Amino acid sequence: MRSSIAIFVLACFAADGQSLSRKVDFPADSPVALVSDDWGDSSANARGGAFFLDVHASLSLRNVSQKRVRGITLSVSAQDIAPGGKGSVSIPSLDAAPGDVFPVRIDLRLLRPIGSNAAVEVKLDGILFDDLSFYGPDVLHSHRRMALWELEARRDRQYFKKLLETAGRDGLQKGIIESLARQADRAQPGVQMARGRSTNADPERDVAFALLEIPEAPVQPTSGTAKIAGNEAHAPHFEIHNRGDRPVRYLEIDWVIKDRQGREFLAASMPADVSVAPGRSGEVVEDAALRFTAPVESMSAFVSTVGFADGSYWIPTRASLSDARLRKLIAPSPEEQRLTQIYLKKGLPGLIEELKKF
Amino acid sequence: MTAHVSEIDLALAASGDLSLWRAVMLRLHVAGCERCRKAAEEFRADRRRVRQIASELPAGLDWDRVAAEMTANIHLGLAAGECVAPRRKKSAVTLSWRPAAVMAGVAVLLATGWWLNMPHDATVALGRALSSVVHGRTMAPSPAEDPGMVVNADEKGVELRENGGSLGISEGSAPPLAVTVSVPGSASARYVDGDTGQVTITSVYAQ
Repeated sequence: MRSSIAIFVLACFAADGQSLSRKVDFPADSPVALVSDDWGDSSANARGGAFFLDVHASLSLRNVSQKRVRGITLSVSAQDIAPGGKGSVSIPSLDAAPGDVFPVRIDLRLLRPIGSNAAVEVKLDGILFDDLSFYGPDVLHSHRRMALWELEARRDRQYFKKLLETAGRDGLQKGIIESLARQADRAQPGVQMARGRSTNADPERDVAFALLEIPEAPVQPTSGTAKIAGNEAHAPHFEIHNRGDRPVRYLEIDWVIKDRQGREFLAASMPADVSVAPGRSGEVVEDAALRFTAPVESMSAFVSTVGFADGSYWIPTRASLSDARLRKLIAPSPEEQRLTQIYLKKGLPGLIEELKKF
Repeated sequence: MTAHVSEIDLALAASGDLSLWRAVMLRLHVAGCERCRKAAEEFRADRRRVRQIASELPAGLDWDRVAAEMTANIHLGLAAGECVAPRRKKSAVTLSWRPAAVMAGVAVLLATGWWLNMPHDATVALGRALSSVVHGRTMAPSPAEDPGMVVNADEKGVELRENGGSLGISEGSAPPLAVTVSVPGSASARYVDGDTGQVTITSVYAQ
């Protein structure tokens, strides 16, 4: 009995204030090298009945390749204590020339019932270069994501440069202010996603999606349904048609929800690997449930990204995004947000200088 | 004056029913006491005579009838005993304080282990299961109950939850400018550094 109590007390003390083991692991031939890492006040502690891991790391990376780096994704895993998943930190819209040093900040918080090693591992998942070539294991499909971010960045930089050329400084300023207003107006309700199951006890009904059409989209959804029960929607199913002249291998359908207060917002995107020849139809099915903060009234959807068999992608043009409804729903690209932030910080001269870099 | 052995002990010794220790002591005494030796011998002689008489059974004895009478008498005796005898209570099992203390300690350790290791949602689920057993019907799952691996995105950022644990990745303490959910099981939050304009996108993946 005495020994049991002693072991229990020792276990409690041992669990409190564990040392945090951390590791930054890049391949030997990585195009970026770790210059320094500062883990600041990162800590691993047991408080009450739970185990808390707080990581505040700042990495300095150097581009040791011969190309300009446009984006990087690092995977972050908390070995043994992550709840069955991973995290990642991506820096899109980067412009790191060979030899340049750039920072990556990682703030990770993890809560778990007590009793594991506190080990955090940072690995390279992928690097995108300015010629859209890629390096990395791509475990998290970061190649596709970073390529799409880069295409959006090129589209939006081109848009603002053209504004400057055609409408001058006032036109550019007006365009940036419109973007800031759009960012401020955009609704951002909470969304929760669970795979493969629905826990809602409310009666469910089949609801058809209202299909939004982007005129130049090479793929158009022809029908779509999902089951709705209270504030939960699940089991979406879409029929699609390839109306372009190239085989389609990938697409993303954006899922829009309207609640009973009439608020409309982009709830989720549904990426899908497909194989649809020109002029043929296919289907996209997902076994997942989305839970919202308010009951669902109606749903709509549109195709936001298409990937072709040759590795190229289609994304909506700025002209498509001028549609009032879409403009309200679709989030600005990371590059557009970066440029508006530069405008807020450095003013119009700073923004014009930034646009001239590309 | 030497104390003599009681007649009861002499009778028990003659029939072999005296305990081993007392039988030894009796033999020691009888060996040195003429009076007791004579009394012991008389008891043994009486016993031999009784055995001899008992072995001489009467002629024409009907053993079946004797057995039936004995069985009837036993049943009658038992029935009469049930009518007049008070119900005998089972004696309560008494435990000493040591086993009770050990059991209490084990209970405390189990409760502490549960509190430390089991997530709140699991406790809720267990309570629901026990309630179902007690009430004899299936209870609806509570909204607080863990529905498996869940990706969460809101104005505070993105988070992965499973079995009472959570993994969240942010960019400092600033709220994200935008969050997105991808149906296969990931969510992303976008942050922009106010000084440098550098965009950071943090994501969590249910795998």
